[in-house]
Amino acid sequence: MDGRLLSETFVELADTMVVDFDVIDFLHMLTDRSVRLLDASEAGLLLADPRGELRVVAASSERARLLELFQIQSDQGPCLDSFRTGQPVAVADLSAATRRWPRFAPAAQEAGFAAVQALPMRLRDQIIGALNLFRATPGVFDQTDMRVGQALADVATISLLNERSLRRSETLNEQLQTALNSRVTIEQAKGKLAERMQLDMDQAFSVLRRYARTRNVRLSDLARAFVDGSEPLPGLEEPRSG
Amino acid sequence: MAVQAASRGGTVYIADVCAASLAAVEASGAAVMTGTGAGSGHVMCATDEVSEELAELQLTLGEGPWPDASAAGGPVLSSDLAAADVAVRWPGFAVAARQAGAAAIFVFPLQIGAIRVGALELYRSRPGPLSTDQLGDALVLADTAVVLLLEGQDRAAGPAGSRPGPGGQPAELALHRAEIDQATGMLTEQLGVGIEEAFVRLRAYAYAEDRRLTEVARDIVARRLRLRPRPGAPGDYVE
Repeated sequence: MDGRLLSETFVELADTMVVDFDVIDFLHMLTDRSVRLLDASEAGLLLADPRGELRVVAASSERARLLELFQIQSDQGPCLDSFRTGQPVAVADLSAATRRWPRFAPAAQEAGFAAVQALPMRLRDQIIGALNLFRATPGVFDQTDMRVGQALADVATISLLNERSLRRSETLNEQLQTALNSRVTIEQAKGKLAERMQLDMDQAFSVLRRYARTRNVRLSDLARAFVDGSEPLPGLEEPRSG
Repeated sequence: MAVQAASRGGTVYIADVCAASLAAVEASGAAVMTGTGAGSGHVMCATDEVSEELAELQLTLGEGPWPDASAAGGPVLSSDLAAADVAVRWPGFAVAARQAGAAAIFVFPLQIGAIRVGALELYRSRPGPLSTDQLGDALVLADTAVVLLLEGQDRAAGPAGSRPGPGGQPAELALHRAEIDQATGMLTEQLGVGIEEAFVRLRAYAYAEDRRLTEVARDIVARRLRLRPRPGAPGDYVE
């Protein structure tokens, strides 16, 4: 494991205490870091909303996001099991998991994954979501790595709590709804940018994120301004020529 | 209200959302407003005078959960208007709202990402938080109100009503899919329209073709389907 990257990730948690912190951007960073730190190929993060639905809030790629969506839509898979039981779920070989998840296991393999690990996001006695790690090669996820993985899942929970106190929300649910709506705005912005510049959704997301970083604005604010057309965004406003 | 109902397609059903909210969350009153509450807004329906007064107070004072919910893009739940932190947050509104008869107020922005059409306001004459189930129900009602208000704005979508969504699915369940959000964003470019109208047109197309919204959205995202602007022929802008 990359110790420097790990400590950097926990230092960045301190950034979630400042006012201009963007929880969706942070959760994305966590999925990216999970991939690099925990010997995974992709990662995704689900949160439960008060309607009782699970929603994908962050994923390391569009491929991982689609597989998370597939779990929700087919109502089965390790992330759902982990969310429902509050326990980690480890599958070293997906080809042997077809009986457990007749729809998810084949779909995950078709997407190129052989092993999966899900870790619950806990808040006291409540389970608010789950972090999912996918790997292209079969095998057991390292136990030390998984303790770090659980710590990263806990960091995700804490970041939501921090955002909540920053925004003076009475409940975590208010914050959760705000985060989920930011997620929607970002998807709308990805669509608009993908169409304008003829990019795929992953590329569109990278461009938006880089743009927000470079100009030091919150990703959610940038996405909203871009969709509204309310703020000039040099470089994102002109259709790509040629 | 009847006059509003006649002039706007969806208003009757917005009133239904107001009425349904009362039972669902044990509210004393409910109102649906358009606008952000910060300087601009309009009460579409209110189940009693207190609800209407609460909305108007916020417009007048320029503070309260409605403008805050609009600015934050998430619900603002205030289970006790007599609490000290509420008096600090909304010095004018907290006092005036209690004088009007409210002890708790819950405001939900009517929104789908950057699409923002108004707010759902619920109040109670006694303090106390919403249960998780009540919160979930309020969010579903807010989703329904978004769709009704959007359809009321655009005749291309046909008359709003209690019918199910495209392809027979329940209207509110059609909202929370990233493909739909991405496709809506793509349509702003394809059709040269704002995000609200792009969403209305997406739904109108799905209705006209009797297909599920998620399927149509997936085709647009995969670039198997493009919509073209062709005013006056809502079902006909497929390429």
